Amino acid sequence: MTKREKLLIIGGSAGGPSAAARAKRVNPELEVTMFEQGRFVSYGS
Amino acid sequence: MVVRTPQQFKEMQDIDVKTEHRVTKIDPKEKRIEVHNLSKSETQWFSYDKLIVATGARSRCLNLPGSNAKNIFTLKDLQDGIRIREYVDENKPKQVAILGGGFIALEMCEAFRLRDIETLVFCRRDLPAGNLEREISERILKELQKNGIYFLTHHEPIAFKMNSNGEAISFETNKAEYPVDMVLMAIGVIPNVEMAKEAGFELGRTGAIKTDFTQMTNLADIYAAGDCCEVFNLVSQDWVYTPLGDIANKQGRVAGENAAGGKATFSGVVGSAAFKVFELEVAFTGLGTQTARGYGFDVDSQIIEAESKVGYMPGSKRMLVKLIFDRKNGRLLGAQMVGKEGVARRINALAVALHQRMTIDEVARLDFAYAPPFSAPFDPILIAAEQAAKKIRK
Repeated sequence: MTKREKLLIIGGSAGGPSAAARAKRVNPELEVTMFEQGRFVSYGS
Repeated sequence: MVVRTPQQFKEMQDIDVKTEHRVTKIDPKEKRIEVHNLSKSETQWFSYDKLIVATGARSRCLNLPGSNAKNIFTLKDLQDGIRIREYVDENKPKQVAILGGGFIALEMCEAFRLRDIETLVFCRRDLPAGNLEREISERILKELQKNGIYFLTHHEPIAFKMNSNGEAISFETNKAEYPVDMVLMAIGVIPNVEMAKEAGFELGRTGAIKTDFTQMTNLADIYAAGDCCEVFNLVSQDWVYTPLGDIANKQGRVAGENAAGGKATFSGVVGSAAFKVFELEVAFTGLGTQTARGYGFDVDSQIIEAESKVGYMPGSKRMLVKLIFDRKNGRLLGAQMVGKEGVARRINALAVALHQRMTIDEVARLDFAYAPPFSAPFDPILIAAEQAAKKIRK
């Protein structure tokens, strides 16, 4: 079995979540992890 | 305000979200990042095949004596907003000083007045929203004054005086000392690029991360999106720093698509934005007079005042429309509007005109939808464009 490709995302406000959602849609096999230093994500829209 | 929670990311799309995790280092050689788990105080390395940097921006702070007082706030993210609201709820401040005259400062004027807090705005420039055209800013100033905001200009900030609780009790400038119960610093943002810079990312002239039209950085397999990076302005044909949420989301999509093996490009912006100050809508797109001059355009402009609807319709309001154009070829370069109704949406027609590099003559002949509740037979934009076109028609 081939190892799943890893995408890491630094930042969870606006650009990060949009990137994560799109990447996963384009390639559902991708292993996506998003890091955010604050308590909230996805509030920048 | 939160569109999706970490649980929703996991359930809907199998995306792992780690909050309270600060990334402290990027190692492009080994293709890994160092992550500090803030709640557990642990540090761990994670390796990647592709990396997207969306580290955003942070509020600029004035470093003055007393700047660290606990009732001095900045406003950038949701957490900041919650902190400000909690402080107001618990301490019931009577007077707030806002430093800065940009749109965060102006929007917060309204928020503070709604809580019956006396609001003083200290601005370096002589008008609010100082990067807009003078006529627009003057209209904003009137609206501030009408709503009881004290707008103070040309003050050099010196210090905050603190009490024994570590709270600022006064703000001292070169002109006077003002008692304060609370302070908001709203003097702009700086891109978070320190970690990227250290890792060898190329920065642009603006100091933000440089990317190409696919959001790729100079480093292999690393993309950047949002307030940490630059964006291409289609009017000036220059890479600029325009930290706005809608742009961040669009760049993020493109970065995500490309990191996942797709092929997407983000061609750029024309520089559109809108905000609300009390009853006023303010909207702009493209370049202002000064900026356009700086880029070497042969700048002329036209300002008009017109009704947002047919004058006899209830709710019709006066609005100012200013068009900035190139005298040489009549090309529209920018537009700014202010008024109580029908402004923020109307600007989008001119954003399209900028994308299409239209001349003011072409704008003047556009076929806009007309019915009395929405517009006049000659829409304010058409009136402004016609008058502008007359100036260069010989």
